[in-house]
Amino acid sequence: MAIQLKDKDAYQRMNYLYQAAHCVLSQNPENVELARFYCFTQKTIARRLVLRQDPSVKRTLCKKCCSLLIPGVTATTRQRRKNSKTRFTVLRCLSCGQSKTLLNDP
Amino acid sequence: MEEALVRATIPQDLEKLLGVESRPHPKAFTDAFLKNSLPQTTRCDVNNLLTHKALILGYSRPKKDKRKSKKPKGLNARQKRAMKVFQLKPEHQRYELFLPLHDLWRQYVIDLCSGLKPTSNPQFVQQKLLKADFHGAIVTVVRSKCPSYVGTTGIIVQEFKHVFKIITREDKLKVIPKRNSVFSVEINGFVSHIYGSKFEQRASERSAKKFKVRGTIDL
Ligand SMILES: [Zn+2]
Repeated sequence: MAIQLKDKDAYQRMNYLYQAAHCVLSQNPENVELARFYCFTQKTIARRLVLRQDPSVKRTLCKKCCSLLIPGVTATTRQRRKNSKTRFTVLRCLSCGQSKTLLNDP
Repeated sequence: MEEALVRATIPQDLEKLLGVESRPHPKAFTDAFLKNSLPQTTRCDVNNLLTHKALILGYSRPKKDKRKSKKPKGLNARQKRAMKVFQLKPEHQRYELFLPLHDLWRQYVIDLCSGLKPTSNPQFVQQKLLKADFHGAIVTVVRSKCPSYVGTTGIIVQEFKHVFKIITREDKLKVIPKRNSVFSVEINGFVSHIYGSKFEQRASERSAKKFKVRGTIDL
């Protein structure tokens, strides 16, 4: 319990930053820079305090330029098939071109 | 001709000098050697190869060109500067665009300080605020060594190591150095002062740092 409480502030802060990035982008979809700045700060906090981020958060951040990936706004989403069974979702960052491939888990 | 050279026996006098002995059946030796060292597929027709003398020993399959590594490389500082990753475009510097951010921040701080009633312990709130995030807060410069900064009010948009970037009600982006100025933050009637000189770190570093309880403040 004590361990959980120890980093509660940091988790709250990261949560706020993540929400702030969403908020900024929803206000003005072109303000990628500020959203990126918030996500960058969030990432740095996580790195400094060695905190694990949830995959659902991690998958919406670009690894290269730290921008928030929202399909249709800052990223493109495509479905790709490797063979008849396995399919992938390819998220491509619109500002730097980095793409990430996620396995579709049914 | 070359085959003959390979199979030539070492001269008698040299044989004595080196202390070696020539193989009595050089042909068999060569065959065995080839059989062992050639790839499996060509082994069967060693004889055929030898008679035709179309033997290529140093053959290797042309390498497939390596797959490009998909691992993201990250950007270095120069690339970041060139791309202007964190610089706000002038057309996005509008005060009303940041009001929802401020609302979000208000919620966050109230949540952080678990309610934030007027009765709550100021020391406790201060401790929480030290590690809180200030993006989105409305601040006013209360005191500063440079008098022209005093009285500036706005929403903090970005926090850097030495400066705050503030957007004012007049849609102007102002850069205010942290050093030698005091900011005041107001949440639900609770006013807190921030000593900028104590805050001279990057936004992300503050979470990890431990603060001294009471430091000297000279201003
Ligand atoms: Zn990117």
